[in-house]
Amino acid sequence: MTTELRFIDAIHAGLQASLAADDAVVVIGEDVTYGGPFGATKGLADEFGRHRVRDTPISEATVMGMATGAAVTGLRPVVEVMFVDFITLAMDQLVNHAAKLHFMSGGQLRVPLTVRVQGGVRGRFGAHHSQSLESWFTHTPGLKVVAPAFPGDAKALLEAAIADDNPVVYLEHRGLYWDKGPMHSDPVDGAVVRRPGADVTIVSYSKMVHSALAAAERLAESGVGAEVIDLRWLEPLDTATVFESVSKTGRAVVAHEAVTRGGLGAEIAATIQREAFAELLAPVARVGAAFAPVAAAADLEDAFLPGLAEIERAASSLMTFGPTPA
Amino acid sequence: MTELDVAGRLALLERMWLIRAFEEKVSELFARGQVVGLIHLGIGSEGSAVGICSALRDDDYVFGNHRSHAHAIAKGADVDRLMAEIAGKAAGYCKGKGGSMHISAPEVGFVTATGVVGGNIALALGAALTSVTTGDTRVSVAFFGDGAGQSGGLHESLNLAALWKLPVVFVCENNGYAEFSPLSAHTVVERLTDYASVYSIPAVTVDGGDVMEVRRAADHAVARTRAGEGPMFIEVLTHRLRGHYEGDPAAYRELSEREEWTTRDPVARFRAELDEAGVAADTIAATEAAARASIAGAAEFAVAASGPGLDEATTDVYAL
Amino acid sequence: MTPDLPQNQLVDLLRRMLVIRRFEEALIKLAGEFDIGHFHVYIGQESTGVPALAQLQTGDLAFTTHRNHGHLLARGTDPAAMLAEILGKATGTNKGKGGTLHIASPEHGFPTTSAVTGGCTPLATGAAFGFSRRGVDRVSVCLFGDGALEEGSYHESINIAALEALPVIYLCENNSLEALGQKANEYPSSTMSAAPLTDLAASFKVPTITVDGTDTGAVHAAMAEAIGRARGGGGPTFVEALTVRWPGNRPLWPQLLTGVTDLTFAWDEAAIPEEHSKWHGAQDGLLRYVRELVTAGHIATDDVLALDGEVSTQIEDAVQFALDSPYPEPESAFEGVYA
Repeated sequence: MTTELRFIDAIHAGLQASLAADDAVVVIGEDVTYGGPFGATKGLADEFGRHRVRDTPISEATVMGMATGAAVTGLRPVVEVMFVDFITLAMDQLVNHAAKLHFMSGGQLRVPLTVRVQGGVRGRFGAHHSQSLESWFTHTPGLKVVAPAFPGDAKALLEAAIADDNPVVYLEHRGLYWDKGPMHSDPVDGAVVRRPGADVTIVSYSKMVHSALAAAERLAESGVGAEVIDLRWLEPLDTATVFESVSKTGRAVVAHEAVTRGGLGAEIAATIQREAFAELLAPVARVGAAFAPVAAAADLEDAFLPGLAEIERAASSLMTFGPTPA
Repeated sequence: MTELDVAGRLALLERMWLIRAFEEKVSELFARGQVVGLIHLGIGSEGSAVGICSALRDDDYVFGNHRSHAHAIAKGADVDRLMAEIAGKAAGYCKGKGGSMHISAPEVGFVTATGVVGGNIALALGAALTSVTTGDTRVSVAFFGDGAGQSGGLHESLNLAALWKLPVVFVCENNGYAEFSPLSAHTVVERLTDYASVYSIPAVTVDGGDVMEVRRAADHAVARTRAGEGPMFIEVLTHRLRGHYEGDPAAYRELSEREEWTTRDPVARFRAELDEAGVAADTIAATEAAARASIAGAAEFAVAASGPGLDEATTDVYAL
Repeated sequence: MTPDLPQNQLVDLLRRMLVIRRFEEALIKLAGEFDIGHFHVYIGQESTGVPALAQLQTGDLAFTTHRNHGHLLARGTDPAAMLAEILGKATGTNKGKGGTLHIASPEHGFPTTSAVTGGCTPLATGAAFGFSRRGVDRVSVCLFGDGALEEGSYHESINIAALEALPVIYLCENNSLEALGQKANEYPSSTMSAAPLTDLAASFKVPTITVDGTDTGAVHAAMAEAIGRARGGGGPTFVEALTVRWPGNRPLWPQLLTGVTDLTFAWDEAAIPEEHSKWHGAQDGLLRYVRELVTAGHIATDDVLALDGEVSTQIEDAVQFALDSPYPEPESAFEGVYA
């Protein structure tokens, strides 16, 4: 019988397994001994000791730098940044040190650092608690980025991130925290086709995968077969799986919650059109949020957030793209 | 704390000469266009680098800044590979990919330098965290200048190091100038040790022109941090004999100030000290000769070495 | 002690405190029925914010943090517009786009609230920099908690303020005695190794004042000194106001653990229940202020209750206004990104 866990508990399980497997793993962040705001680290300090699970002051810059320094000297730190919106304070250490020390040192230094950050829209928290900033990280050579959409992946990909000798930004969406799902021991590399289809490819990651799957259900009712790809890793991008799908369907929608302009969807769309131009029956469509900060009011937050409807609309429009029949 | 015997002191002097000769040679190569890039020399800081690093174990960690050739040499870096790195050659420590400001020689404990002012301080905390987690008793040193004193990262680090009793020695080389302006343009604080005292971190100020004074302070600090008593802060008063970077004519420096400090040259002073202590003149002179010979060899090695293959521009982005 | 002010001003301070207290209580009750995100209430700190901010003049600016409602109300921001904002209505101070964490009322001297811990510090310092460069008679107040002192931005800011003798007051409301995640009741804490906190300002040669945040008169005097120094060109001051965190603020989401405030506890000791007696009897600065005013004869108990009645009506009206107000049009989500 496969274990079923909530996403947040799967993260906890991944941390627990990693702490147990390797003494070099340490967990640091604000309020982690308490469990953090959502309980991801609850009980770990008692279980593994306060020398391995440590609370830090509100000093994101130094905590990120310290984690980097520990990583290049033999530890495998997992640093938690409470909201991705606050990673801004830590960007210098993440971008200028964590991402570049391996390269600048000519390969002498390794940075086995994992940065857990939680973000995305959920709960009317306003502009400083709702952002999706993954393209900052995918735009930084030297960083790996992973964004699980299911609880099983939450555990497996976290363990993989911690075991990786590179700095990995592990993105959590708090809207997924309470989802339950089975654990697995499937491969952790690459993208996964979550739903096969012949007519249109929907490429997505994190919470939007669920909107994509829901959109696929609706599209199926009108006879459109949507193939949904869950990228999981944003860097490295599994373009092979994407191209294989687009070669079959000829149509692609890239959907993410982050702002469309300059988002990861732009990179994926450009790559698809360059590599699979001959197979395309329509331009690549992108679904993302409007180019605005996140408003607090419930309706405004809802208006901002892309989802099922936008994906369905985009996919449908691709199905009818083409010269009008005579 | 052991007092050094004559042999020990001569070794310090030779290491100081190695740095002095190295930096002068880099300046020469830069003038000839055989070294390019943004180069910051530490001529005049030999007392600080050698005083501190000679108190460390081989496996202790040092994290440098943009002006860290001296720190790397003091920690035992190979001058051939160091010179080659600064010259951007494949035989350099970092295959020519780091350059002057990003030297990394982890096998001698010089983990990395960085061009981000104050950016190495948090990294040093991390290495100290590794020490306390593994229990290997290594100590971690962060070298930074007075310009970094006002950076938020320093204060966050002082707090965190004190809270967790991390074995970090904060070394602030106060040469009175941050880039092109004096310290007084950056803060009303005169003694940077004040920053450490706020967090109850023991702090001392020493004369960087006196290598033995620096060494004694380092011995004390290193012993305490290694014993788990928490971080220490040493402010070393030094002098930057050349401009901020090679090419900077330092017109903002008063000529009289330069004269005053030239008489406080740590190399000249230590040489005089050994002379007064009765060490033979040619023994003393031999330290300089040996150093210059090493550096001449390093320069030859670096200039003759080939650059990295072009594919290196995109290798080592990720660890495989 | 009570501030050295004429009676009508003493009563005005009380009124502002009551507005805050009744506002926050109403909000906690409403919160259960609305989707408003995580919010923070100022209950227990009115005796700090009100006497401090009431001394600012029009044009003086204040920059605040997540626990901002009390600050805005202390300077006269309309409770109706604030409550509407918190509920996300179009009639809110920020047209529903900011929510509790970003309430802005420039006309009352609050350009913004930042939800980034310590985010307000460089902003407040910058405003003071502007005043100083333009040579105008204005001061800037930075409102933050003890947690913000852990951020590097605080040190960078106060260093510059001291260097340039900027007209800024750093008012640190230390309510961390008994807070979440801290070692209870003492400094150094598990996240701050300096003690006392004023050392973090003294090291930059900034004058400091430590004051009991539940003592309205002491806070008033402290801020008078700080504001006077700033206006006189004497540069920054760091004021640390100490309060005990209200029990209702200890859980992650605010709860009315001590009940709706019964003002009779201020003069009728026998009425104070066993549970939370320490809070009502000694730690609640609002009750303390009422107690002091009544004892000194500045206001009669009946008048206290009458004033509270007026305030309660005002808050009820504010609640109704907020409930009745429309939500913003969805398209407005994309407006105002650029000027």
